[in-house]
Amino acid sequence: MITIENLTKYYGSNRAVNSISFTINDNEILGFLGPNGAGKSTTMNMIAGYLPMTDGTVNIYGADITKEPLKAKKNIGYLPEIPPVYPDMKVKEYLSFCAGLKKVPVGERAKEIARVSELLKIKDVEGKLIRNLSKGYKQRVGFAQALLGNPKFLILDEPTVGLDPNQVAEVRAIIKDLKKDHSVIFSSHILSEVSAVCDRVIIINKGDIRAIDTIENLEKSFTASQVLHLKVKGVRDKASSVIQLVRGVKSISSAEDEGNDITAFTVQLEGDADSIRDAIMAECVGNGLSILEIYTDKPNLENVFIELINRPAKSGMEQLLEEMEENTSGGENEDEEAPSEEENEEKEEE
Amino acid sequence: MRTKRLPLRKRTKKRRKSNMFPIYKKELQSFFYTPFAYAIAALFMLLFSLSFSTGIARLEGSNTWNFSFAEIFYSVILYFIFLLPILTMRTFADERKNGTEVLLMTSPISVAKIVLAKFLANITVYIFMLLGTSIFPIITAVKGQVVVSQLICAYIGIFFWGAMYIALGMLISSFTESSIIAAIIGEVVMFVLLFVDDFSNTAFISQYPKVQSVLYSFAAQPRFAYFSEGFIRLSDLVFFASAIIVLLIWTYISIEKRRWNRG
Repeated sequence: MITIENLTKYYGSNRAVNSISFTINDNEILGFLGPNGAGKSTTMNMIAGYLPMTDGTVNIYGADITKEPLKAKKNIGYLPEIPPVYPDMKVKEYLSFCAGLKKVPVGERAKEIARVSELLKIKDVEGKLIRNLSKGYKQRVGFAQALLGNPKFLILDEPTVGLDPNQVAEVRAIIKDLKKDHSVIFSSHILSEVSAVCDRVIIINKGDIRAIDTIENLEKSFTASQVLHLKVKGVRDKASSVIQLVRGVKSISSAEDEGNDITAFTVQLEGDADSIRDAIMAECVGNGLSILEIYTDKPNLENVFIELINRPAKSGMEQLLEEMEENTSGGENEDEEAPSEEENEEKEEE
Repeated sequence: MRTKRLPLRKRTKKRRKSNMFPIYKKELQSFFYTPFAYAIAALFMLLFSLSFSTGIARLEGSNTWNFSFAEIFYSVILYFIFLLPILTMRTFADERKNGTEVLLMTSPISVAKIVLAKFLANITVYIFMLLGTSIFPIITAVKGQVVVSQLICAYIGIFFWGAMYIALGMLISSFTESSIIAAIIGEVVMFVLLFVDDFSNTAFISQYPKVQSVLYSFAAQPRFAYFSEGFIRLSDLVFFASAIIVLLIWTYISIEKRRWNRG
């Protein structure tokens, strides 16, 4: 397990990361989501032991990254934002250099290199100079490097940037597959990617954690209203009155006639969508109306993300107290926002 | 006591090798898999041969000129000033430019070992360059006579002198992201250091004996002169060794400091 506590980074007087804490469980893919300049790369560099932190601790399988760096780094595979490749080396040379650097025993190097090149499909370029590779291939060579020696903990900083859609799908599949025997932290600003791959997400903006939760929970707690679409065959007025009377239905926002006694309704719901949907179906069928189509709008992460990111920065004691109260009274979301006075001073090197 | 010590030393030696060797090997590859090392060595040999042939040419018609390799070495170190920064310029500047510094820093290897591995690789190329020059004494020995002991002394001297300047070049390379800037600054600094003894002997500086002695203590050239004349003095060896150690430690600190100041 990887434990991160109160991780803070100041660049001069600019605060890039503000006291963030979280854990990464074994065999978990944690998504790290945030807009550009949110502090994602800084955080990952600190976790990987490249940047020293201003405050806080990073503990990787029992080894503190500052106190026992060599022990901690043995368990880390890191793919930084810019793949760390030497343009003058051939792919195979590079991988064999990295294998040595990561202390892969000499006898196993060839096998290990073959394994990662197989996994990332870079076998056909292994004799080429890295300088001549396309960005996608460079990225994959960098990824291969991170997997050498099979470290338990993988840090992937935007691993799919620069890949074509086909490769993106491949890399995502690889990451999903890695879950079997690795813990992965994986940053991205592409929402669909995070929701497709990750078990939990951390949403970060301006150095503060805005939310840590599973995607389902985030979506649930942040979609204010839910919308149900249904097509009903039967008399229109009867249908609308039946639907209106079901408990949990807020209003019918539209009802379109589609001919043949078919009406398409859009219904605003309040409360648990699943049970309301069941109730509507039961009522309609009970009243002799047949349902041709029924579905709810899937709440999407994008809205959650935008809402969290754009939430006004909290400042001052009053809001802090308010927040504390909210948290103690058991708010739905685990929002760990700290108060901040100079919210706008963050700057990230990119 | 002795039997206890031996296995311990053996163990640490083995561990270090497995750790640093990949970097050492990679550095050497970057020199020898490209025309880089050969070009520098060839240029150096060309310059050396110029001094060599002018030295021989001066023998004719002059009774006071005494041909010796020590003299040639002494004039050749000026060329080194231009070649050594080119050798060392990429050491750390390129790592930073390529973003591969992250790779080294996040691998289970300490910064001190990275510095040492790179230093040893540069030294290896330097030895390769020096070996190239041995062709001139060999030719001389075939056709004439060479004072071997003095020649060896001169080689030891030039080796230490160059090793010190390599450490200096590495330090300068760790300051910047551009290898060209590293080379230019390296040349300037080395040039200044080369003439620091002349500078300390100027009339102006002589007015302040204390300043003069401080400045003079930085001068490597007079110490090299002893070597080329056939003296191996402990104080000179200590000077070069301590200068190398100080510069390497400084390089280590410079790299660590940049990590802290990044941003």
